[in-house]
Amino acid sequence: MASIELINLTKKFGDLIAVNDLNLVIPDKEFVALLGPSGCGKTTTMNMIAGIEMPSEGSILFGGEDMRTIPANKRDVGFVFQNYAIFTHMTVRKNLEFGLRVRGVEKSEIARRVQNMADLMRLNDRIDWRTSKLSVNELQKVAIGRSAVTEPEIFLLDEPLSNLDAAFRAFMRTELKHLQHEFQQTMVYVTHDQIEAMSLADRIAVMDLGLLQQYGTPNEVYNKPRNTFVANFMGSPSMNLLPCRLTNGGGDHALDFGDAGTSVIEDGELMRRCKLARNADVVFGMRPEDIDIQPREVGRPGIDMEVSFVEPIGPRTVVHLSAGGHSIKVAKDKQYPIELGAKVKAAFPKGRCHIFDAESGNAIGLE
Amino acid sequence: MSKKKKPVLTTLEREGKTLGLYMTLPAQLLLLFIVAFPLCMQVYVSLSWWGPLDGVKWYYAYESLNWFGNYGEIFDDSKFWGSLGRTFLIVAVVVPVEFLLGLGLAMLFADKFPGKRVFYSIMLMPMMIVPAVAGYMFFMLFQSSGPLNDILSAIAGTRVDTVWLADPDLAMVSVMIADIWQWTPLMFLILLAGMVGVPEDQIKAATLLGANAWHRFWRIVLPRMKTVMIIALVIRSVECFKIFDILYVMTGGGPGVATKSISVYILDLTFKDLEWSYVAAIGLFILVCLSLIAVVGIYYMQAAQKKAEA
Repeated sequence: MASIELINLTKKFGDLIAVNDLNLVIPDKEFVALLGPSGCGKTTTMNMIAGIEMPSEGSILFGGEDMRTIPANKRDVGFVFQNYAIFTHMTVRKNLEFGLRVRGVEKSEIARRVQNMADLMRLNDRIDWRTSKLSVNELQKVAIGRSAVTEPEIFLLDEPLSNLDAAFRAFMRTELKHLQHEFQQTMVYVTHDQIEAMSLADRIAVMDLGLLQQYGTPNEVYNKPRNTFVANFMGSPSMNLLPCRLTNGGGDHALDFGDAGTSVIEDGELMRRCKLARNADVVFGMRPEDIDIQPREVGRPGIDMEVSFVEPIGPRTVVHLSAGGHSIKVAKDKQYPIELGAKVKAAFPKGRCHIFDAESGNAIGLE
Repeated sequence: MSKKKKPVLTTLEREGKTLGLYMTLPAQLLLLFIVAFPLCMQVYVSLSWWGPLDGVKWYYAYESLNWFGNYGEIFDDSKFWGSLGRTFLIVAVVVPVEFLLGLGLAMLFADKFPGKRVFYSIMLMPMMIVPAVAGYMFFMLFQSSGPLNDILSAIAGTRVDTVWLADPDLAMVSVMIADIWQWTPLMFLILLAGMVGVPEDQIKAATLLGANAWHRFWRIVLPRMKTVMIIALVIRSVECFKIFDILYVMTGGGPGVATKSISVYILDLTFKDLEWSYVAAIGLFILVCLSLIAVVGIYYMQAAQKKAEA
C-alpha cells in the first residue's frame, strides 16, 4: 500500500507561505498531477513528500505511516528532477546501477535489473556511454530509468517533460502512462502544462499561491471548475470569463453585459445557479469550443458581437469576437467560413455555462 | 598526397593576428626578462667555479669554466642529501595531514551550522599571518618555560619541562605542527571551493536514490573533486618543499642540522660559504625535482579530467 496523505501541510520560507494548509489524499496506484503556474507551491509540495524539504506544519503519511522522522534516503520514493540531475561523471550503466548499489543489492541481480531497465527504456546501445554525450531526450530516459530500477512504490516527477522537444514530449507522455501501468506505482506528477495533466492524470490537483484550488478527475476539473482561477487555467484557449450583473428583466433572470447588451436566461441549470447568487455582480463563463456563432436574427440567448480577429491555428480556427468592451474567443473547425467585421451573435451553449461570484471568484451553485 | 595547406585567412583574421602580436609583445618581453634571463644566467654561472670574491663580474665566469663540476659535487655532498631528505620528510608528513584536516573541515563547512561565518574567518586567519611571525609565535609556545609546557604540567599534575626545540626529534615535530597550523587553511579553502562546486541537485538525486552520507561523499562528491584535490596537493607539496621562514625563526635549522631544510642549506651556502656557482647548480637541480612533481600531478589531473569528460 502506498497511498499518500497530506494533512494540513504548510511550508513557510520566512514570510513567504509556499504551501498553505494543504489537504490531499492520493490513493494507491493512482496518477495524480499537481498543476499550477510557477510559484504556486507544487514543487515545494513534491519536495516535502520526497523528504528533501521539511514541512513547517502538518504531516505526510505513506500508507497511513507518518513520514516525519524518515529521512529522504529511507523513504524509497523515485524522483525525477526537472533538470534530471544525471550523474555526469558516470556512464549510463553506472547511473542506472546507483540506486541498487547503495542498497547493497547483489551484483548479478543488479546486472539483471539494469539490463531489463535498459531494454525497457531503449537505452541498450547507449549503456556504456558517458552521460555527457547523451541528448536531452536520452538523459530524460536515464533519469526515469535510474529511479524506476529500484522499483519504488511512489514515483514523483517534477516537470519531467518541460525540457524536451515537442515531438518527444508527446511520445514520452504515452510512454509514462504505459510505465505506470507496468509498475503499478503511485505517481505524483508536477506540471504547469494543463494538457499534460489532462492527458496523463487520474486526478488533478490545481494549485495557486500555495492553496489547493480544486482536486478532482480531469473531467471534473475541466467541466466543473470550482472557481475562476481553475476555469481560466484549464483549457486552451482558456475559458471566456465575462463580468456582468444579474438583473430581473421582466420577471425572469437576465444577464446585463453593460454596453454589450442584456441577455435573458433560458437554460434551466444556469437559472438554478443564478438563483443561488448572493451578489448581483457575477462572472459568466463559457468554453471557447462550446459557443455557437449564429446570425443575429436567431432568437437564442446570447450577445450581439462583431468578429475582430480570425486566427487559423491548424486543426482549428479561433474567432475573436468583441462588443462593448467585452471580448471572447470561439474555437471552431479548421477553415471556418467567417469574415472579419461580420456582425454575429455569440449564442450561449445550453447546459455548458458557468457562473461565478465576482468578488470571491467561486462557482455559484456547483453540485 | 597529404600536403598540408596553409589556411586562407580573411583580411579581418590577418589584421586580428597582427594586432594580437603587438598587444602581447610587452608581456612577452617581460616574460623573457623575468623568466628566461635569470634562468640563462643561472645555467651559465652553474657551469663555472665563479664566486663573488673572485674579483670579476659574473659574465666573466667562463674564465673558470668547469662544465658539470658543480653538478658532480652535488652527488658527493652528504649535507645536501641530508637536507633534501629532511625536506622530503616534512613534505611527506605535513601535506597529507593538512590534506585530511582540510578535507574534514571542508566537509564540515559545506553544511550550514550556527556561527559558520565567524568560524570561517577564524579558520582562514593562520594563512594570513606572515610566516616569520607565525614561526615566532610557535617559537614562544614551544619554549621549555612556555605556555605549552604549562598546560601539559597542569594536565599531568607534575612539572613538565620538555625542551621542544632543543631535542632533534621534537624540534622536527614542532616545526611540522607549526606548518600544519599555518597551511591547513589553504588546503581547506581550495577543497571547500571544490566541494561547494558539486551540484546540489546531484546530491539530492543521490539521496533520493537511497544513498546515505557516506555513499554520497564516496560516489558523488569525491569523484567530482578529483581535479581540485590534485591541484591542492601539488600546490602544497611544491610550497612545502620550499619551507623556510617559519622553520628558520623557530630553530634556525637546528639543533645541529636536525631541522635543516634545503632552503636553509642553500642560505648557508650562499652567505656563509659564498659558493654561488654551486648554489646555482643546486637551484637548477631542485627546479628539475619540483617540475617532476608538478608534471606527475598535472598528468593525473588531466587523466582525471579526461575521464570526467570522455
